[in-house]
Amino acid sequence: MLKRIQSSKSKKITIFFEEKQIAAYEGESVAAALLCSGVKHIRTAPVSGTSRAPYCWMGVCFECLLEIDGQPNLQSCLIPVQEGMKIRRHALNDGDSA
Amino acid sequence: MKQIYDLVIIGAGAAGMAAALEAKKYQISVLVLDEQSEVGGQIYRSVRTTQNLRPETYELLGADYQHGQTLENAFRKAGIEFLSGAAVWQVDPDRAVHFLRNGKSLQVGVRRLLVATGAMERPVPIPGWTLPGVMGAAAADVLLKSSGAVPSGRVVLSGSGPLLWLAASRLVEAEVEILAILETINFSSYLKALPYLPQALRAVEYLLKGLRLKRQVSRAGIPVFSGIQNLRAEGTQRLETVCFTHRGQSRKFELETLLLHEGIVPNTQLTRQLGCEHSWNKLQRYWHPLLDEWGNTSVEGVAVAGDGGIVAGALTAEASGHLAALEIACQLGAITKNQRDSASKSYRKAIRHHQAVRPFLEHLYPPNPETLVPPDDATLVCRCEEVSAAQIRQAVEWGALDLSQMKAFTRCGMGPCQGRMCALTVAEIVANTQGKSAQEVGFFRGRPPLKPITLGQLAGIAEC
Amino acid sequence: MNTADILVIGGGVIGAAVAYGLAERGAQVTLLDQGGIAPNASRGNFGLVWVQGKGLGMPRYAQWTLEAAQTWPKFSADLLEETGIDVDYQQPGGFEVCLGEEEFSLRKAELEQLRQETANCVANSVGIDKCEMLNSRNMQELIPEMRLGDFVSGASFSTLDGHLNPLLLLSALTAAIKKSGTSYYPDQQVESISFRNDCFDVQTTTERFSAKKVVLACGLGIKTLASQIGLEIPIHPQRGQILVTERTLPLLAQPFVTLRQTVEGSFMIGASHEDVGLDCGTTLDEIRRLARHAVQVFPELSKLQMVRCWGALRILTPDSKPIYVESENCPGAFVVTSHSGITLAPLHASRISHWIAEGTTPEGFEQFHSRRFDA
Repeated sequence: MLKRIQSSKSKKITIFFEEKQIAAYEGESVAAALLCSGVKHIRTAPVSGTSRAPYCWMGVCFECLLEIDGQPNLQSCLIPVQEGMKIRRHALNDGDSA
Repeated sequence: MKQIYDLVIIGAGAAGMAAALEAKKYQISVLVLDEQSEVGGQIYRSVRTTQNLRPETYELLGADYQHGQTLENAFRKAGIEFLSGAAVWQVDPDRAVHFLRNGKSLQVGVRRLLVATGAMERPVPIPGWTLPGVMGAAAADVLLKSSGAVPSGRVVLSGSGPLLWLAASRLVEAEVEILAILETINFSSYLKALPYLPQALRAVEYLLKGLRLKRQVSRAGIPVFSGIQNLRAEGTQRLETVCFTHRGQSRKFELETLLLHEGIVPNTQLTRQLGCEHSWNKLQRYWHPLLDEWGNTSVEGVAVAGDGGIVAGALTAEASGHLAALEIACQLGAITKNQRDSASKSYRKAIRHHQAVRPFLEHLYPPNPETLVPPDDATLVCRCEEVSAAQIRQAVEWGALDLSQMKAFTRCGMGPCQGRMCALTVAEIVANTQGKSAQEVGFFRGRPPLKPITLGQLAGIAEC
Repeated sequence: MNTADILVIGGGVIGAAVAYGLAERGAQVTLLDQGGIAPNASRGNFGLVWVQGKGLGMPRYAQWTLEAAQTWPKFSADLLEETGIDVDYQQPGGFEVCLGEEEFSLRKAELEQLRQETANCVANSVGIDKCEMLNSRNMQELIPEMRLGDFVSGASFSTLDGHLNPLLLLSALTAAIKKSGTSYYPDQQVESISFRNDCFDVQTTTERFSAKKVVLACGLGIKTLASQIGLEIPIHPQRGQILVTERTLPLLAQPFVTLRQTVEGSFMIGASHEDVGLDCGTTLDEIRRLARHAVQVFPELSKLQMVRCWGALRILTPDSKPIYVESENCPGAFVVTSHSGITLAPLHASRISHWIAEGTTPEGFEQFHSRRFDA
């Protein structure tokens, strides 16, 4: 859904999404890293269960909520990736990891 | 014992950084808080990281963005106390500022509060806008700055306003495949804006920039459809098709990403909760805190700088940050009124200059009527609680005539975004259904917290 | 001039229930609501349908509450059928949780006292036999999905207790009223009432209404209006703060007095008791106290996010029990007020509206008269 513009300086790191290893680049947000890696949605809507992805990318829409390193409900469009980060969707937002 | 600052600035965008720099000159103790991981706000989002880690993207973003680096440099060299990743969730009446950082709630005391929380892209509710693949056009621009990423696959942009064209031109430069630009304004908007052109010519660089962006897009061979209506996004798990009417004809594109834009509106959560008076911008149809010429709100000790006060762009925001800081320095007795007034002259001049173009832009790019009041009943107005335009209209029938009642009847505005995404639309629908103006209908009552906080974090706050 | 048989003032859950009941009886009703500016207790409500422990000092009230709880299943089914709105009423039994041994023995003594006071009544007519003290282990058995905190000593538990969504109840009542052809004015602020020639003349800021009967069900607004028709109604506001969390999986079926999980999945936590006049704001101290309480009862709640909190005003009489009274100076003017407007809604729509429409006073009703507060 997203792609990266080539960067000559960003360092490649590893994060984990729903237990799966994913490559990410230093200085990008968690939500962007996931959507650049073929993840197709970030959360499912609690009411209808439909798939959602960030709409605003600036911390307003809350469509990017994820659990990061055990902390629930973080706005993943505001949080930069870090080596070894463990990321998952919420219990209510279970769905396939694709 | 919590620490007390002379001045706490919430938001480290153009206005916040400028205000901190100005205040620092007068030995005022300043703390700047921002929920993002670094300074820059939205316009200069991640400017330092982009320069250091993504030089190719930094180059692509151009001089206007790179100006943010000058501010960021000065800010860093001045040694201003800055906490990143600090999400303010509560400001007490006695001016304790509570914020979440690294999973804990912390608090500081403050004598003067400067709200520099900027603006957000106006949500554009259309059928299917909750599908992954639909997002804001300014949002896509922010994504480019914050993460060096762009939409993959085929893209359509729709809406109106300078940022639509800015986003389009940057995506062109990033070699993104743009199928079309759908403009929601038509020729009559140009006629309405025309009387304001002479004044706008005083800030001719804005107009030239606009023309340059449009030329860049047309040189790339991207078709522009003006005056489109009935915009609709379709797809099952994600966006697949965008449909619209152009000159009476139905058209559609298959695509991966749809970028929507109908201007930007101030973030008023904090000023609402602090009880500041707000007024209604009739042309752009948004609420903004009522400010005096120095940025003072109706609540003593609370000021606003930047687009959170009135949407006017980064350079005006920067100047307004200086003005607000000068006034605060004066209130705190660090400088005299004369010093304040003479130091303010250049900033006022700058604001006058940059403001010259606003009336033209505001008349040229009013929000699309279909964005204000979605005609299609199936449009989800509240994304969090999934309340449709039909449900809002039904609740008006049942007697929900204002926003508190509407919330009670439909749950709209009760999800995690706390009404940020739906408040303006709900008000417009309620008003439209009753033949009133949205201004009369009002706004959601601000309920704490400003940002969600866990019960554990709340319970763990020390008494003081 | 607008005319009606009966004018109900107050569109909260009490006024709406009464108006709904009156309309069902074929009366020509007009309902006036103040609109969004009202400090509407129905909207800030916690949503309990509660029986246990109520009626201390007034057995008639214990009976009244029990009758309401027994009527609730049919009442909610009727509303669903008429309006299509499910108010999410459920009656899984409810807890009043005790933290520490002292609270446990206090609660036990309180229930024992109620048992004695109601000894003359048949126990199952006041519901006391449905209420028992449970230690924390027995309590835990009823709550398999969530672990109780170590400080929980037990609870009183009654199978009669339940909960619902108060906002949906208000919507359903309002929808039913509109459907019945009742004239509903959602934005009328009543300024004065006068009584002439067996007729009430009600003046709002913009309109005039005339009716043979008038029902004051406008919460704190009752006080001023009642004095104009010769009644002194001693009510005062008490603030309760409530916080609500994000949605999560269904974990807790039973409501507690201080917390419950809604059908949508969010937890509501409340409520404080504060004497602060008409201020319906929130304070960090109280919200923090509520969060601490919730985390003490269920430690795993600490991970859930509070998304919203608010203050709402309860409308209390000096003994916290309802006032149902008809004016003697101005016959045809009624006052209906209670801070249990949710629990009692089925009776307000049936017995109370019957009383107002037909003039037949239900048995034992003198106990609810406001003269019980005369010095």
